[in-house]
Amino acid sequence: MKTIEWGILIVNYLFLGGLSAGIFFVSALATYLQEDGQPAYPRIARYGAMMAPWPVALGSFLLIFDLGNWYRFYKLFLHFRWESPMSIGSWLLLVFTGITFAAFYAWLPEEARHRLFAWLPKRLAFLKRFDLDLSSWRRPLAMLGFPFSIGVGIYTGVLLGAVQSRPFWNTNLVAQMFLFSALSTGTAALILALSINRKSLDFKQIRFLYTLDICFITLEFFIVLPYLIHGELSVRAVQEALKLILGGPYTVAFWLFFMGMGLLLPLFVELWEMKPVLLARATMHHNKVLAAGAAFLVLTGGYLLRYIFVYAGQMSSFR
Amino acid sequence: MADKGKKKRYALVLDSKKCMNCKACVVACKAENGVPVGKFRNWIDEEKRGSYPRLLMTFDPGQCMQCENPSCVRVCPTGASWQRPDGIVLINYSECIGCRYCMIACPYDARYFREDLGVVDKCTFCVQRVDRGQLPACVETCPSKVRVFGDLDDPNGELQDLLSTRRYLVKKPETGNGPQLYYLL
Repeated sequence: MKTIEWGILIVNYLFLGGLSAGIFFVSALATYLQEDGQPAYPRIARYGAMMAPWPVALGSFLLIFDLGNWYRFYKLFLHFRWESPMSIGSWLLLVFTGITFAAFYAWLPEEARHRLFAWLPKRLAFLKRFDLDLSSWRRPLAMLGFPFSIGVGIYTGVLLGAVQSRPFWNTNLVAQMFLFSALSTGTAALILALSINRKSLDFKQIRFLYTLDICFITLEFFIVLPYLIHGELSVRAVQEALKLILGGPYTVAFWLFFMGMGLLLPLFVELWEMKPVLLARATMHHNKVLAAGAAFLVLTGGYLLRYIFVYAGQMSSFR
Repeated sequence: MADKGKKKRYALVLDSKKCMNCKACVVACKAENGVPVGKFRNWIDEEKRGSYPRLLMTFDPGQCMQCENPSCVRVCPTGASWQRPDGIVLINYSECIGCRYCMIACPYDARYFREDLGVVDKCTFCVQRVDRGQLPACVETCPSKVRVFGDLDDPNGELQDLLSTRRYLVKKPETGNGPQLYYLL
């Protein structure tokens, strides 16, 4: 019986997991790059470290909630099956979530940390010995987190791509598409965080984020395009699967809302904002509304990509 | 099926042309295995073609293909889906977390989700009967003898007779799962 088994919870998880991976990657990059022994982009590094753990934690919760027997989720960690992308993914997710929380703690300002420990009830006072300054761990944690953030970002695509029975997914491009989408949504979340902040946009840091996001969106675009071309030149089952977005029920969602408004429009806005830099003349616009708007569009596009792929993929099959 | 210890490979040969869509196999399966209302371990697909007076109606029984190289077993993150040495693919219910990845990975959509237990289920070739030397319920009940169950590795068995003298096909071989339901032409 053909049914849609993975629904909106899985869509949300794939988006949130990718979002955290992207935020952490960019934050780690901003921590790793140094100028005079200091992080070159301190605000991005700190904001990223503060934001990264929450989406993936919420996503993992949704993932567990989606199980038929949620209380058996621990069985995922009693086995390691290298042939199962879900098994590899759950281990990656566990380690990655741990690293994001460690980085969060290492970036927590000292007063906030003391306040956190002040809330502890008397009985748990012995935990106060963990009120440590881990700021020297920030860079090692960032470097340790790179492979895991990439791993979490790409595995969401591998999870879908490694299924022979669904021609819509069964291509090696889906993994890369999801990875670059994850990195792009993570960057966008940071742009959004910087632009809704009361402080004025810092030229250097916003330029760094725009540059990254333009790279990620472009890479994503040039993976979506070959995905379509490759699929059209593939066997009949893949061509039929692609009809779901080329004339089928997901055509408008894919072309207008994902490709148009979620990918190309924000790319255009970000290029427009970077125009003074690209043309080596004058100053940035520093337009917060445009920055927030572009970031919002990227996030919506990333969400829609997951939505379209999860549903359309399950509808595709061999005849 | 009595001699234990010898290597076996259970399979099913179907002669769809004999099928008349009476659905006795579906009912027998449900009764034997306690399949919940609204869920099915086996089914019969119906195809109608042409217009009067040139008409064709075919019936095509389907169920788990007990694949040689099952993708459901490969993707299972806990090893709950497993394969016996005799080829039968089973689910260990106490290990199944209900992620339903196997349902998505099955090219034949042969699995269903049991909401009451929170686990995935499917055709087992009626292991409980086969291990006692009986035939699966669907095979035993079929009034028009569509189904022939047996051991592929038995050189004198009925399956070898049929498969070496008749033309047959397997479904969706391109997915590489190696289905073990042979449909006679």
